[in-house]
Amino acid sequence: MGITIFSIMVVLLLLGFPMMIPLIVGAFVGFYTLFGGFGQLETMVQQMMAGIRPASLIAVPMFIFAADIMTRGQSAGRLIDMVMSFVGHLKGGLAVSTAAACTMFGAVSGSTQATVVAVGSPLRPRMLKAGYKDSFVLALIVNSSDIAFLIPPSIGMIIYGVVSNTSIAELFIAGIGPGLLILTLFSIYSVIYAYRNNVPTEEKATWGERTRAVRQALWPLGFPAIIIGGIYGGIFSPTEAAAACVLYAVFLEMIVFREIDMAGIYETAKSTGLITAVVFILVAAGAAFSWVISFAQIPQAVLSGIGIDGMGPIGVLFVISIAFFIGCMFVDPIVVILVLVPIFAPVVKSVGLDPVLVGTLITLQVAIGSATPPFGCDIFTAIAVFKRPYLDVIRGTPPFIVMLLSVSVALIFFPQIALFLRDLAFAK
Amino acid sequence: MTPVTEDNHSSQLQSQTDTTGTDDAPVGPYKSTLPGPLGTIDNAISRLESVMLAAGVLLMAVNTIANVVGRFVFQSSIFFSEELNRVLIIVITFAGISYAARHGRHIRMTAIFDTLPSRPRKVLMILISFVTAVFMFGLAWYASQYLMTQAGRGRLLPALQVPVWWTLVWVPFGFFMTGLQYLLTAIKNMIEPDIYLSTSVLEGYDDNEREV
Repeated sequence: MGITIFSIMVVLLLLGFPMMIPLIVGAFVGFYTLFGGFGQLETMVQQMMAGIRPASLIAVPMFIFAADIMTRGQSAGRLIDMVMSFVGHLKGGLAVSTAAACTMFGAVSGSTQATVVAVGSPLRPRMLKAGYKDSFVLALIVNSSDIAFLIPPSIGMIIYGVVSNTSIAELFIAGIGPGLLILTLFSIYSVIYAYRNNVPTEEKATWGERTRAVRQALWPLGFPAIIIGGIYGGIFSPTEAAAACVLYAVFLEMIVFREIDMAGIYETAKSTGLITAVVFILVAAGAAFSWVISFAQIPQAVLSGIGIDGMGPIGVLFVISIAFFIGCMFVDPIVVILVLVPIFAPVVKSVGLDPVLVGTLITLQVAIGSATPPFGCDIFTAIAVFKRPYLDVIRGTPPFIVMLLSVSVALIFFPQIALFLRDLAFAK
Repeated sequence: MTPVTEDNHSSQLQSQTDTTGTDDAPVGPYKSTLPGPLGTIDNAISRLESVMLAAGVLLMAVNTIANVVGRFVFQSSIFFSEELNRVLIIVITFAGISYAARHGRHIRMTAIFDTLPSRPRKVLMILISFVTAVFMFGLAWYASQYLMTQAGRGRLLPALQVPVWWTLVWVPFGFFMTGLQYLLTAIKNMIEPDIYLSTSVLEGYDDNEREV
């Protein structure tokens, strides 16, 4: 039964059906075969409704709403200026600034695509003018934006947390370590690249200019303060932190910067609602699908089929990484999380792996997969935003993929990269 | 920042869950393709859906913030806050799937679809729209059964004291409207020469310079 369902789903997906249909058809077929007819399809609707019920999911539309208000305003520009004023004058400084600005914007928004748009759009022309090759610039922007997926808030982590019943607050803080490690590697690579290609450096900013830039960026820096401070200070749940970000974003862009008016907020709310519906129907369909495959014990069958029982924790982590990496090369990250997390859930439990470590690793793999050819989704965002052909966007990718994969291997052997901060914050 | 127009956005075209609206083209006004009074009703439903989306998100933000403020300033949470959010997310999701279908915004993996010549692409689009419509109508039917079951039980939401089934009314309706949109898309693709992603959105690849 498992093989039939998965084959039907893959075919529908590849043919170009709306992403919800493979999940819905998979669930339909599962319910039909399991209960011998259409008798239990009411249960399928019930499971779909249960899928969108968790209160933590409310954080998704709230973070999208806050980030979209910010992206339309001045926050990204101010963060970029601040980073530039400090590292812009170093060899490769502009490239390092791009990676760092992506990381900082990641702390404001939970979306890689928003980061490509908000940070990539203003910085790419500057880097090209400074003499960086376009292939390097595009690969840097696409891959650095993936750091945003690991730095809290992260929409992927919220979905993983809900599906696997893991603390979202702990996931958020566990993502910071690997995120910063990737930033460090990208920065080193950028500096080496700048020396080898002898890219001219920028003018050094004076301390007066730096102070001004920091003051300008203080407002947007309130976001990470709200999210990280609020959640770990025990003031907010992740959902409430997201709502506080909305309030703060409205306050900044409407009252302080006067970039957006009431009508703009309404339009942004409408577009957030539309995006939310498209994501949540997937979450609903994914919940029905995972309910039926768990009920039919398909995960156990699939996993014992590949002999996972004798692999031990490290082996399981490798299998999970590979499965998510391959999945995300072809399909959308959230769909991959919805389908694969329930499949691996029993084995993660039986081997005794920390679900927060697994979640961080999965988020990392998902981020890497999204930037990896053939179909990584960030590549297509970059194609659309920068209007460059597919091959130009992916040409500079290989060194970044190598760096990202080495971080995930490091994370498997040294879980402390992710768990150190978590243990510190939650006193485990 | 590059302004987003109808041509350069691509959020729903590729295999990506949209997590930002900043790279989306603004949603244009919807014009029903149904004739006469049916068209008027369809347009009104579309407008209603867009209001439900925006109001739902705004209310959700206000509700969640008010709850935090209540807890810190007045030492008491709003007792119905979580229930209200749960209702709002149902409203947003099921008003939104139909609205997304009207504007061709449901995400698809189009990498293979795009490489096909236009004739098979058109046939495939008709098949996709039709099969999607069938499953949406099926779900509308089973959702209405579920609604009936809930109505029969007569349970109330504990805090809001509203019958549970009230909050589910839009579920079968949303599925039905979505199914209707896909059915109309299939029909439109059969009678018109061009390829339509939805009744109001023409496929945008041919006049685009993107080399995917």
